[in-house]
Amino acid sequence: MSAVDPNNEATLPSEVGSVPEPVVEPVPEPAADAAPQVINTDGGAKDGLAKCERCGATEIALNVATGMLRCSFCRHEWSSDNAVDAFDLNGDIGKLVGLTVGSGSADILPSTEEVLTFKCSACGAEVVIDTNHGTQARCHWCRNKLSMNQQVPNGAVPDMILPFKVTKEAAVSKISAFVKKRQFFAHPKFKQEFNAENVMGVYLPYMVVDINAHAVLTGQGEHQTRSYTVKNGDKDETYYDADLYDVEREFDVHINDLTVESSSARLDQNASQNTNNIINAIMPFDVENSVRYDSNYLAGFTSERRDSNLDELSPIAHAQAQDVVRHRVNDTLKFYDRGVRWHSEQVDVAGQRWVSAYLPVWLYSYQQQKSGGKSFLHYVAVNARTGETMGSVPINQGKLLLVSGVVQVVGTIAAIVLTVLGI
Amino acid sequence: MSSLMDLSISATQVLVASGSSDDGGNIGLLFLASGFVFYGIVYFMYRNVDKRHKHESETEATLHNQQERDTFVKSLKRLSQREMAGANNRDVRGSLRKFF
Repeated sequence: MSAVDPNNEATLPSEVGSVPEPVVEPVPEPAADAAPQVINTDGGAKDGLAKCERCGATEIALNVATGMLRCSFCRHEWSSDNAVDAFDLNGDIGKLVGLTVGSGSADILPSTEEVLTFKCSACGAEVVIDTNHGTQARCHWCRNKLSMNQQVPNGAVPDMILPFKVTKEAAVSKISAFVKKRQFFAHPKFKQEFNAENVMGVYLPYMVVDINAHAVLTGQGEHQTRSYTVKNGDKDETYYDADLYDVEREFDVHINDLTVESSSARLDQNASQNTNNIINAIMPFDVENSVRYDSNYLAGFTSERRDSNLDELSPIAHAQAQDVVRHRVNDTLKFYDRGVRWHSEQVDVAGQRWVSAYLPVWLYSYQQQKSGGKSFLHYVAVNARTGETMGSVPINQGKLLLVSGVVQVVGTIAAIVLTVLGI
Repeated sequence: MSSLMDLSISATQVLVASGSSDDGGNIGLLFLASGFVFYGIVYFMYRNVDKRHKHESETEATLHNQQERDTFVKSLKRLSQREMAGANNRDVRGSLRKFF
């Protein structure tokens, strides 16, 4: 900090005149012709019968209590490799240059089928997998389970998956407790129909982004030097003196595991139209514990396919990265207790790594029927790793308006009485 | 609905401010917004339309090779606002959540 020059004082208040709009330098998008480096995340993956290595059964599912896959016949347990280690996703972010993407994050080709047909290697029958809802199907002839683990450019098989950790019983308990606290003004039909046992385990698609960037922020900051009260007629008015500084911060920033929804349905978070913000609010996830994708982790759960590409998600991720930069640099601005006004924020992305992931959510959904045949979908969601719970409960508007009206009448009477008494 | 809540809060703040002036007798006006404030609190508690992932603080980020340049410009006197006009160092622009 430079020393204060007492001869350089001015009396021009900073709020006089218009405040210049900050110039936010757009984060450069990856050049269209720049070929990304691709991390092959489905090496060795096979479609078809995924058998227990001990007994050969295909009845395999996640044991949520241990986080491992378990054979339903011989109880043998194992797990996929940690994806962060397997694909070296924990490498030095400072060394990232250009665009790096997991092979499961490749652009979705519109011509790729969403419903795929596989030949059952046990009996030869043809089995259909609808990738909109999962990557497994049971052969209707021999009852074996077929898995799809190889990536096709339709967004169905991600680079990695984070297994469920919170049990269904725990999720039901959290959802019940959340709704129980919101009973009095809840819509009567919702109270009548609510059953937390209807919760569903869903793997939702996300992009996990690491960013290596160089940032230069320039602006002005104010440090309060004095506050005092002045009598102005009958009123006391408080004024402040402050020192104004030109402020510049320049640094490299490494952003780790910025997580963005990659389903177009979930990206729409207009709270007057839907309750997708509820699902957004239960982030973050411990994505560093993700494992290599194996369809068996989906057994007993549903999944939602990724349908957004990097070019649609990059502006969102980069805007959020800029927010992260702006807030992280506040640690160096504590002297400016009146705030800082950035005129320019230039964030140059030197390198970025994008990996697609399925992340686990326990989701209770309730379709509220409204007048005019309209409906509104409410969610209560539980982060199936951390247990963080958030939800939207339909309100009995009539009851709330009535009670608010009573509160308003009582408040108005109290206001009149207190005013008359001169309090 | 957020703006409704903001309005309620602003109204309360205005009334509190007016109630603290020396001419007295205005503190009771605080209660005039009670119904709106009550509605807003209950609505937000049940619907949680304001909730979102706080990516700006919940995302891991580290700064390296930091350079700081701070140059005194001038002293400012008799500012009426507690905070700097146009301060934007706490702005969030990348949020997906919208109200309308």
